[in-house]
Amino acid sequence: MAAAVVTGLGVVSPHGQDARAMFEALMQGHSAVRPVLPEQPKPVVAATCEFNPADWFTLLQLNGVDRVSQLAVAAASLALKDAGLAELPQDTTRVGVYVGCGMGGAASLEAAYASGARSGRVSPLTVPAFMPNAPAAHVAMRHGVHGPVLTYSVACASSAVALAEAAKAIRAGEVDIAIAGGSEALVVPGVVLAWQALMTLAAPQPGHEARACRPFDVNRNGFVLGEGAAFLVLEAEGHARARGATPLAALAGSATNCDATHLTKPDAAGQAAALRGALRQAGLSPSDVGYCNAHGTATKAGDVVEAQALREAFGTAVADLRVSSTKALHGHLLGATGALEAVVTVLALAGRRLPPNAHCEQPDSQCALNLVLQPNHAAPGLQAAVSSSFAFGGTNCVLAFTRA
Amino acid sequence: MSSLEELKSIIQAKFGLEPAAIDEHASIREQGLDSLALAELLFEIEDRLHIDLPNDDPNIDTLTQLAALVDRVRAEKAASSA
Repeated sequence: MAAAVVTGLGVVSPHGQDARAMFEALMQGHSAVRPVLPEQPKPVVAATCEFNPADWFTLLQLNGVDRVSQLAVAAASLALKDAGLAELPQDTTRVGVYVGCGMGGAASLEAAYASGARSGRVSPLTVPAFMPNAPAAHVAMRHGVHGPVLTYSVACASSAVALAEAAKAIRAGEVDIAIAGGSEALVVPGVVLAWQALMTLAAPQPGHEARACRPFDVNRNGFVLGEGAAFLVLEAEGHARARGATPLAALAGSATNCDATHLTKPDAAGQAAALRGALRQAGLSPSDVGYCNAHGTATKAGDVVEAQALREAFGTAVADLRVSSTKALHGHLLGATGALEAVVTVLALAGRRLPPNAHCEQPDSQCALNLVLQPNHAAPGLQAAVSSSFAFGGTNCVLAFTRA
Repeated sequence: MSSLEELKSIIQAKFGLEPAAIDEHASIREQGLDSLALAELLFEIEDRLHIDLPNDDPNIDTLTQLAALVDRVRAEKAASSA
């Protein structure tokens, strides 16, 4: 069975379009969260991307292409370039695209509602712009990918699931190369109102907006929305070595399951089972794993449940497991968050450095974990790391990476 | 008055195609505007010129033909409101 290795990384993130520069910004604890949409009735903070579509598309190409697809095309192209695969091998049926996306083209849908209500007229390209599999299709068209081109819409676990399924396809010999990741762009007025109505967003303090999201802090009060896209090039190890590529890490195992208890309430037993399953598939014991990039959304209930799940799954080894949620700094990218955090986890593993769990001034004793509280933390013995994504709908997905 | 120049300027603003680069007697589809782009173009023309174009006219292939259709619709609109 072929091992799935990571050979390229690409992001369009709130911290820019260079994966390694983004990692350095996270290492220093720089927050990309800031006030947005000032015309909204209630204050909004989010981590959005500076992105110029003209860098990637002509005006003619942009026709009917929602921002969510634009970000995906850019991040996937950057990942392929990073992997030395700007030109794909000749047999493009052996290449697949696996994309996580929670909502699809939110801006196009919202524009259609607005213009429909105003004039009864809607852009004829609204449907192809907002359909959730548009990002994957645009990535495939841009690079001429003729293998499986698939979309996973599993809320906050979407792109973690996409990566897990891509690695399975590589192990099963279905593809040699998988362009796998996620994209989300829903920081638009109507969708933001909907998130605010759900009462899960952090309440920002005026003047301290960048520190609004405080995972595992006793005074945490919710997450902040993020947008962006992140892609990893996964490759069969033999294929990568044969073309002289140097793997950054291996995606050694994963587990996906469902709590089947409640649509939005997390469940420690399900999360712990996913953590154990990922370690088992990767052939790791808890003491082998030195870092967990936590789901850590900073909701009151969620962080407690996640800490409980980590204690259940890791047992006594949880004392040596370093944990951080980088969502404090890049926000919650929803369908893209699993992939973005996978990029962070791969770079942490490759460089043996751990990004901080920022804005946690007073760790909550109810979620006692060995948090990385200082920036720029070195982890010289690091061999393996996990990245967790737990979704509305009850789906849990854990990815286990090992050093290449 | 022909709408041709207006259509060219709409195409330039919407798709970035220079007016001089457009052959108004050749097939629009063969000049880079696929069926999706064409649908968007018709919508944009209706929006900017405040007219309703007939839904499916299979005879429209060139910009000259499209301009003639727009001229006719404008003339009918002017006549009916006169």
